[in-house]
Amino acid sequence: MKIQTHIDHLDSYRLYLKIIAATREYLNGKKYLEIDLPVLSPALIPESYLEVYETEFRYFDTKKKLYLTPSPELFLKRILAYGELDCYSLGKAFRNSEPESKLHSGEFTMLEFYKMHSSYMDIADELLGLMSHIASKLYGTNHITFQGKNISFAEWERMTVAEAFSRFADIDETDLFDGSRFMEQATKKGYITTGFTYEDVFSQIYSQEIEPNLGVRGYPTLLYDYPKEFAALAALNPDRKTAQRFEFYIGGVELGDCYSELTDPKEQEQRFQGEARKRRETGKSDHPIDKGFLEALKYGLKECAGIAIGFERLAMIFADISSIDALKLISI
Amino acid sequence: MKTFAGNLKRGEFVLYQGEIYQIQKADFYAPGKGSALMKARLKNVKNAKNVDFTYKSSESVETVDVESIEMQYLYKDTENLYFMNERTYNQYTIPYEVVGDLAQYLKEGNNYFVYVHNDEPLSLRPPASVRLKIIEAEEAAKGDTVSGAKKLAKLETGVSVMVPLFVKVGEIVAVNPETGEYSERVKE
Repeated sequence: MKIQTHIDHLDSYRLYLKIIAATREYLNGKKYLEIDLPVLSPALIPESYLEVYETEFRYFDTKKKLYLTPSPELFLKRILAYGELDCYSLGKAFRNSEPESKLHSGEFTMLEFYKMHSSYMDIADELLGLMSHIASKLYGTNHITFQGKNISFAEWERMTVAEAFSRFADIDETDLFDGSRFMEQATKKGYITTGFTYEDVFSQIYSQEIEPNLGVRGYPTLLYDYPKEFAALAALNPDRKTAQRFEFYIGGVELGDCYSELTDPKEQEQRFQGEARKRRETGKSDHPIDKGFLEALKYGLKECAGIAIGFERLAMIFADISSIDALKLISI
Repeated sequence: MKTFAGNLKRGEFVLYQGEIYQIQKADFYAPGKGSALMKARLKNVKNAKNVDFTYKSSESVETVDVESIEMQYLYKDTENLYFMNERTYNQYTIPYEVVGDLAQYLKEGNNYFVYVHNDEPLSLRPPASVRLKIIEAEEAAKGDTVSGAKKLAKLETGVSVMVPLFVKVGEIVAVNPETGEYSERVKE
């Protein structure tokens, strides 16, 4: 790794700053409170597929492990439980074991915003409003051009995950929600399934066959209702098979991830234990589980929903460039 | 040999669905649900067709040892192109359909790199640029000074490409043989 300076990226960097300003203007105008947060934490939410950066606080013989936060969610949920405030944070998030690529950086900027008394579909409306606002501030229009294609923010193209698998991967709903039938279909398609989980193979087919078809028909695509295996911190739908989660796409690029938040502390604790077990099984760093987060849920988290957006990716789309690198003046 | 898909690098050769492909690009991707992935673009060395495939990053991939050997291009007939390894004097045959449009830019007697696996020639490594003489070209009309204007010119191998108006018959130009695009005029 090497520190690199890219003064030639100044134009796209200036555009990036405008997108930040437009985002703050929109959210502040809607009375979301911006929360300035730490990036170090002594405990984290266990997420089985994320590796974290560890460091240490030292003072004489006192040593205390600290972790760079992979997302601000653990902090913001406390604000939601104790303060019942619509809020957001725009700051750095850190993920280890993720080499630099066109859409990835181990250190990146994340926008998270949460709205009280809302579900994931209320966030979808808010998000469309935010993207419209950015387009209008940048270009004075309600649409943008990304890689030669026009994308309008007049509405969403909405699709459930089950519809997308049937339409683009030829896997019907019965097979999608049945682990062994799904793996059979995947094997037939030529994917390697031995030694991999349903989640792994789902992820591979999703990325290979579904994602390139999202956000490519004139509107951003809202893909919603993921199998419960991908619920993470999301509330389940009444069918108990799917979670109230959506992801949104422009030009085949995943930009963000939204849930109706799970507010039941007991279920959350069980999911945490499951995720922590998977972390140990896959040899990931065994960090302490954030008990204070569960305390906050016990205190009482009212119905709410929130979204995490990879901010450089969103800016990349609005700047019509194909790599997040091209936004940066300094990179490592 | 086997490697994790997460370690794949541009330029490596792998076995994909029973055929040999070269990695054109390999980009790490972590969707945050399920396995981390490696999004690769693979080029079939036999028919030069590109395929996009997403590997799980911890999936095992069979890599193939392919050498790139400099050889002299001898001649062609209606079906094949013939090359000779100048160190061993062994001759290698590559079918026309494998070399494809690239064949139009190859000059007999010149050296090119041939991909070889187990002493079998697979295909030709496309040169970044070829230098060829212009044998026919239209005269530039006087007063035609539109910047960027081009004309058609026939190269010594028989293929025609677009060149800037100032380029004349007998001059040598550098051309990208994969796109047919003129890059510059060069001295002999």
